[in-house]
Amino acid sequence: MSCGVPGMEDAGCLFLFGYNPNTSHPLVARRVVKAKEKGAKIIVADPRFIETSRIADMYLPLRNGSNVAFLNAFANAIVTEGLMDEEFVREHTLGFDEWWQTIEKYTPENTRDITGIDPGMLREAARMYATAEPSSILCWGMGVCQHLQNVEAVHTCAAIACVSHQIGKPNSGVAPVRGQNNVQGACDMGALPNFFPGYQKVTDPEIRQKFADNWNVPVEALSGHVGYKVSDIGHLIDDGKIHAFYNFGEDPLQTEPDALHLAKQFERLDLFVCQDIFMTQTCAAADVILPATSWGEHEGVFSACDRTFQRFTAAVPPKGECKHDWQIFAEVAERMGHDMHYRDTQEIWDKECRAMWPGAYGATYEKMEGLGHAQWPVPTLDHPGTPDLFLGGAFTTPEGKAHLIAHEYRDPTELPDERYPLVLCTVREVGHYSCRSMTGNCAQLSNLAEEPGYVHISPADAAARGIKHEDMVWVYSRRGKIITRAFVDDRANEGAVYMTYQWWVGKCNDLTLHHVDERSHTPEDKYCAVEVELVDDQVWAEQHAEELYMELKGRLAENANAQHEAPALS
Amino acid sequence: MEKHMVVCPYCGTGCKFNLLVEHDLVVGAEPLNGLTNEGFLCLKGWFGYDFINDTKILTPRVLHPMMREGKGAPLKRVSWDTALDFVASKLSAIKEKYGPDSIFVTGSSRGAGNEANLAAQRFARACIGTNNIDNCART
Repeated sequence: MSCGVPGMEDAGCLFLFGYNPNTSHPLVARRVVKAKEKGAKIIVADPRFIETSRIADMYLPLRNGSNVAFLNAFANAIVTEGLMDEEFVREHTLGFDEWWQTIEKYTPENTRDITGIDPGMLREAARMYATAEPSSILCWGMGVCQHLQNVEAVHTCAAIACVSHQIGKPNSGVAPVRGQNNVQGACDMGALPNFFPGYQKVTDPEIRQKFADNWNVPVEALSGHVGYKVSDIGHLIDDGKIHAFYNFGEDPLQTEPDALHLAKQFERLDLFVCQDIFMTQTCAAADVILPATSWGEHEGVFSACDRTFQRFTAAVPPKGECKHDWQIFAEVAERMGHDMHYRDTQEIWDKECRAMWPGAYGATYEKMEGLGHAQWPVPTLDHPGTPDLFLGGAFTTPEGKAHLIAHEYRDPTELPDERYPLVLCTVREVGHYSCRSMTGNCAQLSNLAEEPGYVHISPADAAARGIKHEDMVWVYSRRGKIITRAFVDDRANEGAVYMTYQWWVGKCNDLTLHHVDERSHTPEDKYCAVEVELVDDQVWAEQHAEELYMELKGRLAENANAQHEAPALS
Repeated sequence: MEKHMVVCPYCGTGCKFNLLVEHDLVVGAEPLNGLTNEGFLCLKGWFGYDFINDTKILTPRVLHPMMREGKGAPLKRVSWDTALDFVASKLSAIKEKYGPDSIFVTGSSRGAGNEANLAAQRFARACIGTNNIDNCART
């Protein structure tokens, strides 16, 4: 995010594009409400009538998959309505002429058939966004990132902020609000195939030398080419490129698309290690399970979605024989001849992060004591941290200017047809999280929502299929078929259905398409074709779903039970 | 009752609260005046803590290292030394036979923390010799 979460309430306009904060970040949604109370305009563009639509000044129900056509037309309207800040564009951006050659072709009028949005409304929204004082923030979530044209949409969002000069001043700019609690941190810390910690390129020889020196290895030992992305792991196994998978704290068999196929691909690994806290479906498929301490049993630093480092402490001692994740990595490394012994997390933070990433040098454990925090970049010990990036239009490109990039619109990969006439879009719900191994083991949260979860369907699509609210239904795609419960939802648009990816029986990832974009390799989880059908025998359906759930839970419990038998002496 | 300061392990907002602990069991959550949450919590912040106690409502915690004696064999508990020796020797053999880029390591974008990710990426880069390290940022 180019701004901080607290500052969102002081913007003059919040434009939520493919972002549903009420379910994904409830305490960010609170800032949206506070902004509204302080007089900000709220624009929501989403195929579903999401909660924030209720307080929005404008709600634009664009069609699923039409993001780039919509954004191009929005950018077009900013220019043709005379809302562009020409001085900012001239002084702080590059490539306007080429950008405009593409954007010029996408008018609010000629994109209406793709987006479904009234041209007058789109022009009014563009005016509201571009003219808001003192600033506008363009917020997005997975509604942008998990589409075929995700990077394209991000380029256009950034260009929209630039041409209207709604970036480069306090509480403005772009807010791709990161989902999981430390996904910003995992990226900050170099758990990425192209970057060392602090977004320092693995392809830069000087940077490699710096890390080689810190790690006491010859520079030749470090790879100089970018690695693979985890979303490609399945076909990398198929192609014989990956033979060992050391999976740490993730449950891909629940959270990744086309999970049925992925399970078969994992079977072909020579070595499959899982380091986790729960017996997940993925752990149950592993060759080796390394038990790690849970959140609550260890300490450290998280990065919030707006780049804020904060410390967390341990509340209870480790259970059983669980070790801290960093200890396990160090112990395997030691056995493989690499010494990476650490005393504690502070030593790791100081030696591996602060000493190696100039932008994090000022983020000391002392500064983050108690309710303290440090928002990067924070380059010196007395630096206050940086809520707002690019102030005054100082961008972090080699030229110091923003590059305007435009793209032609393309249709999503798997369009609905006669056999699979509905779009499936995977979304979030507030009471459960991700693979559900954590929230599903919480008493109050599992009392509120349980298997087999729901498929949200519009009243018209439900009626056409004889489906009533709470009926048990089949949902099927070219990949699989699952049983779940129908939620007849007047907030869902006709032609699309919505499922959250928490449910193990009503598992949307048995249906989703594993297709990734060329640049970021992000799966197209927001768009595939499915059909929904009423189960004829509702009594049988209830029993069947219950049996499937008990069978799955029973299998995992059985796998976990083995840990209570003492190891053989060897 | 003990109180221990944490940052929420669910979404990326970064809400701060205390975990309330009695006899090594987490029994409650108490919001703190953190930078982003200002004394408020959501449903998961208030009620999302008891998984730590190994409630076994959905699936049990893993508390001991486990291994299979071969593909298809059942998981069995082993000592840490056995598990770590096996992982290290098998990874070394695969690295020797197919090269470092035949091994993939993930970081974790959830409760493990930044230090765990720093260790994971160093393990992949300096020990294995590959940039095949990634996290579920796309999920």
